[in-house]
Order: sequence, then C-alpha cells, then structure tokens
Amino acid sequence: MPSSSSSPTEPDPSVHDAPSADDNTNGASSTEGAATPSATTLGAIHEPQRLHPLTLLLRVGASLPALLVIMFPLLRNPGSTENVTSLVLGVMYGVFALPAILLQYWRFSYRITPKQIVIQSGVLNRKNRSIPIERVQNIQIERNLVARMLGLAKVKIETAGSSSTEGSLEYVHQDEARKIRQVVRSFQRGSTDAETAAEATEEEEAAEVETLLDMPLRRVLLSGAFRFSLLYLAVIFSVLELFNPETLMQRFSRAGRLEWLATLVLSHPAIAILATVLVAVFFGWISGIAVHVARYYNFQLWLDGDKLRKRHGLFTVTEGTIPLGKVQTLILRTNPFMRAFGWYELKVQTVGINVEEQGHRVIAPFAGAERILELARRVRPFDLPESFANVSRLTIRRRFVRYTAVLTAALAPAIYFWPPDWVQLGGTALPWWGFGLVPFILGWALLQYLNHKYAAGEDGFYIRRGVLSHHLWIVPTEKFHVFHTTASIFQRRLGLKTLFVDTAGAATFAYPEVIDVPADEADAQFSALYRRFQTLYRNRVEAATGAPDTRLDPDERPRLPTDDASG
Amino acid sequence: MDAAASDAEFADVAAGEPIRSLDPSIRTIWLIKMAGMSVLLFLPVLFYDLTHLFSPDSWLPFGVLSGTVLVLATLYCLAWPRLRYRSWGFALRPEEIYMEHGVLQHVRTVVPLRRIQHVDVSQDLIEREFALGRLVVHTAGSRSSDVVIPGLPLPEAEKIRDKIKRFILEDPLIEEPV
Repeated sequence: MPSSSSSPTEPDPSVHDAPSADDNTNGASSTEGAATPSATTLGAIHEPQRLHPLTLLLRVGASLPALLVIMFPLLRNPGSTENVTSLVLGVMYGVFALPAILLQYWRFSYRITPKQIVIQSGVLNRKNRSIPIERVQNIQIERNLVARMLGLAKVKIETAGSSSTEGSLEYVHQDEARKIRQVVRSFQRGSTDAETAAEATEEEEAAEVETLLDMPLRRVLLSGAFRFSLLYLAVIFSVLELFNPETLMQRFSRAGRLEWLATLVLSHPAIAILATVLVAVFFGWISGIAVHVARYYNFQLWLDGDKLRKRHGLFTVTEGTIPLGKVQTLILRTNPFMRAFGWYELKVQTVGINVEEQGHRVIAPFAGAERILELARRVRPFDLPESFANVSRLTIRRRFVRYTAVLTAALAPAIYFWPPDWVQLGGTALPWWGFGLVPFILGWALLQYLNHKYAAGEDGFYIRRGVLSHHLWIVPTEKFHVFHTTASIFQRRLGLKTLFVDTAGAATFAYPEVIDVPADEADAQFSALYRRFQTLYRNRVEAATGAPDTRLDPDERPRLPTDDASG
Repeated sequence: MDAAASDAEFADVAAGEPIRSLDPSIRTIWLIKMAGMSVLLFLPVLFYDLTHLFSPDSWLPFGVLSGTVLVLATLYCLAWPRLRYRSWGFALRPEEIYMEHGVLQHVRTVVPLRRIQHVDVSQDLIEREFALGRLVVHTAGSRSSDVVIPGLPLPEAEKIRDKIKRFILEDPLIEEPV
C-alpha cells in the first residue's frame, strides 16, 4: 500500500491543499484511469472529495459522552478546588481531541476513477487505499437515525477478498451516496461514460427490478412475535442489576394499587420465582419484537438482474446488494413455534461480506413455506429431494451417553462437596436430584435424531438438523469446497462417521455436518459427492475449452516427485 | 445413488493410487516437540514435590507425583509420535489431494486442487535441522481453511507446491475463485 509521508507532523496551512499534492506525488498509479482520453467523464469523481461537513458535528457529538465523564466531578461539585485534574483533562480535550477530529476530517478524501476507488486518510500516518472497481462486491448504504435527520448516509465498500469492510465513507450526503453506488455500478458494467450510464442504469433498473418480498408492518410484528431470545433477557436483567430492589418496591407501594400484588408475590418463594419467570418471559418476548421490528421494519427485497438488493430498518436503514453468483449456501431456518404455524426464515451464506452476520445474510425474515421455497428457487434453482435419509439410530445412544456423562461430571463435584447442613431434599443432597433430568436427556437425544436428516441430490447436498433452531442447508454441488469424514474413538466403536462438506464462509458453529452416519454409507456418500463435484467441473472445462482438461493427461497432471522417478 | 452411474464413477475415493506416508524422521521431530512440552509440564510438578519434601502433612510420599508424571510423559512421548505417524497418509492425485490422519479422531479429507487458493511450504527451526517442510494449503472453506501436510522432504514439498500452483494457474475456467 503506497503511503506518503508528506509533512506528517506539521499541520500547517498547506494541509488544506494536501490531498491534491498527494495526488501529484504518489497518486501516479491511481490516476491511470484519468490518463486515458475516454476517462474525461462527468461521472467519475476525479477530484478528491471530502466527507460531508456535518460529519464534524456528528463526530464531536459522538465524543461528547467522553467529555461528560471527564467533567463529571466538576459538574457535580463546581466550586471545589479538587477538580483540577478533570479541568486539565477537559482543557486537553479541547486542545487535542477537537483539532484531531478537524484534522482527520481535513485529511480524509476519496475519489472514484473508472479503475478504482481511492481513499486517503490519516493525519500522522497517511494511508492511501485503492480498491479496484472490479473487485467491489457490494456497496452498502447505511443510515442511522441521526444521519437520516441530517440527510446523510454511511457508505461501506465491501470486496470479495477480505472478510470485513474494505472502505467506509462516514458520512456523505445521501444523494452523493446513491451517486457513488451508481457510478461504481456503471463502471463495473464496463462503460466509462458514467453520467449517461448512470441514467441508463436507472432506467434499466426501473425496468428490470422485480420486487421479491415486501413486508408490511403487520408481518414484521408477527415475525417478531415468533422470536424469543434469551439474549435480550440477559441484557434486561443486567440493566435491572443497577437498581436496588428495595427502592423499586417502595416506588411500587407508593403507587398504591399494586400493594396486594407485592404481598402476594412475596408470600411464598415459589410464587415469587414463578412471577419472576413470567415477567422475564414477557419482557423477553416484548424486547424480541422490538429488536426485530427495529431491524426489519419495511423489509424489501428486489431481484435486479443477477443481484439481490434489500433494504430494511426502522432507525438505521440498511441497503445492500448480494450478487447471486456469490451465494454459497441457502439456509432455511425455523423454530418449533414458527414451524407449527408454517413460517420460515431464509438466509444465504456469502463470502467476504458483513462479518456481523457471520457471512449469513437474511433474504427473507419471515414467510410461509411455499413462498420461502419459491424465493429460494429464485436465488438459486434446486430440486428439493422427495425423501431424506435418517442418520444411524445409534446416534440416540451416543448422544444420550455423552450428555449423561457431561451431566454427571457437572453434578459429581457438587454432590461431593455439598455441606450436610445445606438443602437436603427427601433426605439426599440437592444435586442428586439433578439426575432427574436423565429422562429429558433421552427425549432430547431422540428429538435430535428425528430432526437430523440428509439427502444427496444430483444438484447438491441437503442437510436438516436442529431441534430448537431447525435448519435446512442447501449446498449446491458447484459450491463444494473441501470434503471430510471424521470418526472419533467412540464413533468407531459403533461403526459411525461424521460427514462434512465445507463451503466458503461457513459459520464456525451450526455448520452442515451429518453426524453419525453408518461408516460404509458415509464413505459411499463421501465418494459420490466428490465424484459429482468432479464431473460437474470436468464438464464445465470441456464446455469452456471444447476438449477434456489437458491438465489431466498422464504426463501433464500433478504427481508426486517419486512417482516421476519410478515412472 | 444414481443407478445409471457406473461403479467406476462412484469408486471409493480412498481406493486410488497408493497412499504415501510421511518422512519417517517426522517422528523424531514430534518426539522433540512433545518432550519439550512434557518438560514444561514436569518442572512445576517437580517443584511442588520438592517444596513439600519435608512437610509433615503431605498427602503423598515424596516422588510419587513427579514420578507418575515423568513415566506418563515418557510413555506419551515414545508412543504418540509412532501412532500419529502410522495414522498419517496422503496422496496427490490428478485433481485432488487425499489425506487421512488422526489417532483418536480419524479424519479423511479430500481437497480438490481447483479449490486451492494458495500453497505455502513452511519450516520451523527443528524441521530445518531435518530438512523437512510442511505443505500448507489454503482454501476458502471455513473449518478447513488451512490443510497441513507435515513432514515432507523439503525439495519434495516444493515440487508439490509448484505442481499445484501450475494446476491452478492453468485453469481454463474463467470464474471467480469463490
């Protein structure tokens, strides 16, 4: 990465002209697009552009909480002489932080040529990042509440190679954001006359774009009602920790009416526990709905040529595109409640996009079974196999033994160290009663077996798994990556194996593994899947070159050096 | 499975060309590394034993703890490299790398050559003494993004690397890597 060190330490008046100076010194390679005559276009943003001036306001605003913390003692106790430190820190904030924000803003510039996007940034350490246009995979426009009020937008540039955002423009005017996206898109289509191309693109889009999914508020609310997450619950409880229960109770009793409720709840521990659980479940449910609506409000999905485009969000509106070719795996997800009513969620696994979503992007948060399959087929055609095969029944036994062993390992120390004067239920130490869970473990293992199925179709590998979060993975043959079978020491005793086809960007947990397949069946599937993949690509090579792959000729193909010596 | 497909089509992937073992001196390398780890484990135990040498209420007679650890570590260092060496096998085939390894957990892996993003040969200090190299194959897969074949003679590892490189470079399919 080229980096200039032009006057890094002295923020003198020349700073103002710095971006153009950099342009002359080290931007030689990056302006090659400008050198060609056809590139004197209106669409390309050749002049280095600053971010929107209101960005300054937003950044100062974002740093204010820190200032508040620093000045807190001073604000609480204005007259005191003990506040010298906080006063000094406050002055330092004024002297260093504010100019730093200003300088960062000044020294940040971006421009877009037909070949690449160039982002220069940094005050002391100059960074010059150029992103080739053809590697740009997605330009995501994000607008949070404040940005929307000010008419600003955050532009994130994502590429295939890296797993995180390659470049981020925070913030530009919303029209500018849209223009950047159009310009980049038109350059990607190979046209250099971007202004007209952008218009053409717009018209084209109007003609081509097809709405795949449009969720009204009612549907989003319904969708949220089916999600129940303990995570939000944990957040709520950690916030509640901050309040003293005594004062809360007093507040309630001062309100009067609820006193009978308070006495009732406190009359017996069992009622108190039950009430707490009920309240927790209720809050968890409500907060789940709230979070869901904030995220998926006004969810819209369009098919635009070979790309999916989506937009959603209540406070922060997120817009993004997903090229269909980059979709690695389709994931249909549901939970027992949703399944009972026939609702499903569709996600796709992509590479090099949003890390926050673990490479999984939601295509449809909530839709009926028929609709979701139709949508999934639009993203990537497939034949859902009629019948799925079960894994070996021995898996129940293996899971049961394993979970019981874990339970025993957890309870044993508790039983051993349980003091005799602690709770003794029915004459035995309380932890012994933990073994009452054993029948449930058996039921759980059985449910896991019943929900774990697989099918190897001609066009891909289909795996269903999960009890509480039920997944169906659709892995197309052309996206297979690496093939594994594993057999642990316990699996080998029972003649079982785990089969796994790796794909690019798969999640680190909840991946499409087929656990506990009979060993010979696993080996057969392993070979069959690989041969299918091989045949597919052999045929592709033949179709592309008109001849079988020459690299596979006996004298051409890769071999071990010792084989060469012997042969 | 498709009935029309011939048996050869779905022949077991494992039953191909002969499977190669690693270079035998990898056992010594593993032994050295494991011995190092064992010493790191043994020293604190020995220290504990020594500091409790004259303590009246020691729950074990002197030397039992450190002795047990020493014997177990020695057995581990002697047996494990052999077991591991015996479990390792790989083959470079026209279109794929096949490998199997693992003592407790048997793993069989097929890496199609066209899925390889890049290949490295790396070597650490001990391996350099024995002129061995490790072939590190990078793919875009998540769980198996690095597939490693340890203990190849360095020239052989480099030759394999070059061949795989050539295979990737000469791919007639113009498609994006992922």
